[in-house]
Amino acid sequence: MSRNSLLVSRRQFIRFAGGAVLYSLVPAPFQGIAAETGSGFIAEASCSRAPCDVRALTRKLFESAGGMSRFISKGDVVVIKPNFSWARSPDLGATTHPDVLETVIFLCQEAGAKKVRIADNTIHEARNCFAVTGADQVAKKTGADLVFPLSNLMRDMNLQGHRLNVWPVFTPFKEADKIINLPVAKVHGLSGVTLGMKSWIGGVGGRRNALHQDIHQSIVDLAQFFRPTITLIDAIRIMTANGPSGGSLSDVSVANRLILSDDPVAADARACGLFQIQPSAIAHIQLAQKWGLGTTDFSRLTRYQVEL
Amino acid sequence: MKIKQLIYLRRISQVLFLLLFLFLLMETRLPQNVFLDYSQEITGPNDIRLNYPVMFFFDMDPLIWLSTTLSTHKWLAGAGWALAVIGLTLFLGRFFCGFVCPFGTLHHAVGAIHPDVKGRKAVFRNEKTPAQRLKYGLLLSVLVSALFGLNLAGFLDPIALLFRSLSVSILPAVNIGIKEVFDAMAASDIKILNLVSYSAEIIISPVLGFGYPAYQTGFAIGLIVLILLFLNRIRPRFWCRVLCPLGALLGLLSFKSPLGLEQDETRCTNCNKCMAACQGAASPRPGLKWEPDECVRCFNCQDVCPEDALSFRFTRQKFEKHGPDMGRRAVLTGLTAGIAFPLLSRLDGQIHQASDPRLIRPPGSLSETRFLERCQRCGLCMKACPTNVIQPSLGEAGIAGFWTPVLNMSAGYCEYSCTLCGSVCPTGAIHLITGKEKITGPIRIGSAFVDRGRCLPWTENGACIVCEEVCPTSPKAVVFREADVAGFGAERLRLKQPYVNLRQCIGCGICENKCPVKGTPAIRVIAAGETRSPKNQILLAS
Repeated sequence: MSRNSLLVSRRQFIRFAGGAVLYSLVPAPFQGIAAETGSGFIAEASCSRAPCDVRALTRKLFESAGGMSRFISKGDVVVIKPNFSWARSPDLGATTHPDVLETVIFLCQEAGAKKVRIADNTIHEARNCFAVTGADQVAKKTGADLVFPLSNLMRDMNLQGHRLNVWPVFTPFKEADKIINLPVAKVHGLSGVTLGMKSWIGGVGGRRNALHQDIHQSIVDLAQFFRPTITLIDAIRIMTANGPSGGSLSDVSVANRLILSDDPVAADARACGLFQIQPSAIAHIQLAQKWGLGTTDFSRLTRYQVEL
Repeated sequence: MKIKQLIYLRRISQVLFLLLFLFLLMETRLPQNVFLDYSQEITGPNDIRLNYPVMFFFDMDPLIWLSTTLSTHKWLAGAGWALAVIGLTLFLGRFFCGFVCPFGTLHHAVGAIHPDVKGRKAVFRNEKTPAQRLKYGLLLSVLVSALFGLNLAGFLDPIALLFRSLSVSILPAVNIGIKEVFDAMAASDIKILNLVSYSAEIIISPVLGFGYPAYQTGFAIGLIVLILLFLNRIRPRFWCRVLCPLGALLGLLSFKSPLGLEQDETRCTNCNKCMAACQGAASPRPGLKWEPDECVRCFNCQDVCPEDALSFRFTRQKFEKHGPDMGRRAVLTGLTAGIAFPLLSRLDGQIHQASDPRLIRPPGSLSETRFLERCQRCGLCMKACPTNVIQPSLGEAGIAGFWTPVLNMSAGYCEYSCTLCGSVCPTGAIHLITGKEKITGPIRIGSAFVDRGRCLPWTENGACIVCEEVCPTSPKAVVFREADVAGFGAERLRLKQPYVNLRQCIGCGICENKCPVKGTPAIRVIAAGETRSPKNQILLAS
């Protein structure tokens, strides 16, 4: 079958598939999330005064959303997916703020998690990344496992995506009871933004550099496969230019905000506002909504807002 | 001190120094569990450094010190250890060979395995041969070459040779064998095997390297060291007796050492036990002329002698006997080779004419002439590099630079903030730089160019721009411009096509490494633009 006929069939499919029809046609993995939309929530926390106590802000955010025990049960194996792609210090905003990560790990442990793991398949060499971003230090302090992206932890799985089928997956995510996606908010040359769903490129191995050839569909395929329990977008420092690697303090602006949601699409859509970008301008957010991964209509969600 | 105790002291010393060598070799890596305090600004002077002085054996190697001093006419940092070894050698003789040298210890151990060699045969193997003069010729060729600006010491220096062989050949080969077993276990459906595989890899990887480190010419490097070890079947310590230029240098220094062997002919019964035990083929039997420059001071002869006819004493040597047996032909050959090598090796034009575009040196490397004066081809930088980008050169640096470090961006890429290679170089061929010098300048190692005939957006085959994503500089050196192109489908495509801003590019090669166009990537780094060479430039200085 040629590439063209595939494209046409997808387009036709999307065009004709209306709400209920869509629901009955989407593959099984989508249905769970699609059913949840409408009952989800989105919580935001921001610092009104400087300096911002990031740890306290994180705690307050989870309190406002009903506490970590709402998401994590006793005895759970929790895997946290931060974005530690680059060997950059935290002040450069290219990676998840270590204080946020640390607080989330403590909250999971307080909620009774049996084991907390930190896992990310980085772009720069992983040991360098973990050393420079503060991941090592957080793991040492909290006692969480820092899982290295070793080749024997990549296992071929069927993603059942529209574009991606068999692909090597970083196994800790498939062995987790609960997944917390903890990305940092950045701009990106090709996909527009690097938020929660884009961050799942760090959840797979293999020929990741080929994903750019159909970046938006790839992101949506990955997002439907991983399906985190919650997405917490770290917007303490956001990268507004030269993304996703940055490298200069002038690429970073301090937003001192956190966005938490059980709806991966809503979280990403909300974070687009940080960059004055309309969610409708980001193709993978639109595509994800169409495929029923979540909603960009915040009025359908329970909203919480706290300030520190 | 009793002789028995001396033998044990020697064995303990050999084992300890060999273990120390292996430990320092293992620690030549990105330190495990580096806990940088992230609350501080790490973009500042917070560079990752090794926890141990991994250059220790190189610092105390007199051949490396002497050859580098001859080639650079400069004082080498850390020379105190080498001078201490020289001083002790003047006093004690070749104790370094017998007590310290890890390569000598390996030969000693391998040479000791000879179940079939007994009696007359064992004595014959340890008789002095004219071939032992060869090492003086090799030493001379190395030193004269160094004087003419080409430092070849590292090819034959036992410390550099052993480090190179273990770190870029033997250990990576062992690693491949082990990791393939682990990968097979990881692919299994049995859960417990998966877990064992991961835990085993977590234990093994810090020692043998993450992933599958590989080095070009690794096969040849490994084969050479295996052959050298095999030569012990012909004669024990064949390397130390016949080939080792460091042994030759220490032999010359030890010729007048006060610690000498006293041979008592009146007691000797010609049992030849001393000859069968001699490590250096130094003719210890009373009646033969003991060779102070061949003796590795292992003290075996004194230990095995049943008649106490042999004893090491601090005495004034009788020099009138004869000078060191260097052999006139070996000396002449060495001198000729020493003059010829540096001149012949310049015939590939790498220094005076255009250099090879693939000759990309690690960040902080000296200019090519200065580099070849210092580099020992020891493999410390290759072992320390966390991405495996530093490779022993094959043809990139010409014959003179064979096995010197070059960057091969398909094997890895130069990590933006990493400066480990310069921090471990024992002779300063790669000088110590800070991450700041790489990030904010001036250090650059090359320049990237887009190959529009291969690039996916430029050939209208689809979106990509991975090179722009991974470019680590700020602002990015790889930028894109959008273009409407026809493509190969029904509708036109709007694609982002990459361009390289040469003034921003530092040549780190991550774009080449991550480019999805396999084989010959569509964006590649060449050496031109490297800060170490004022000649090898593209742009007029801004």
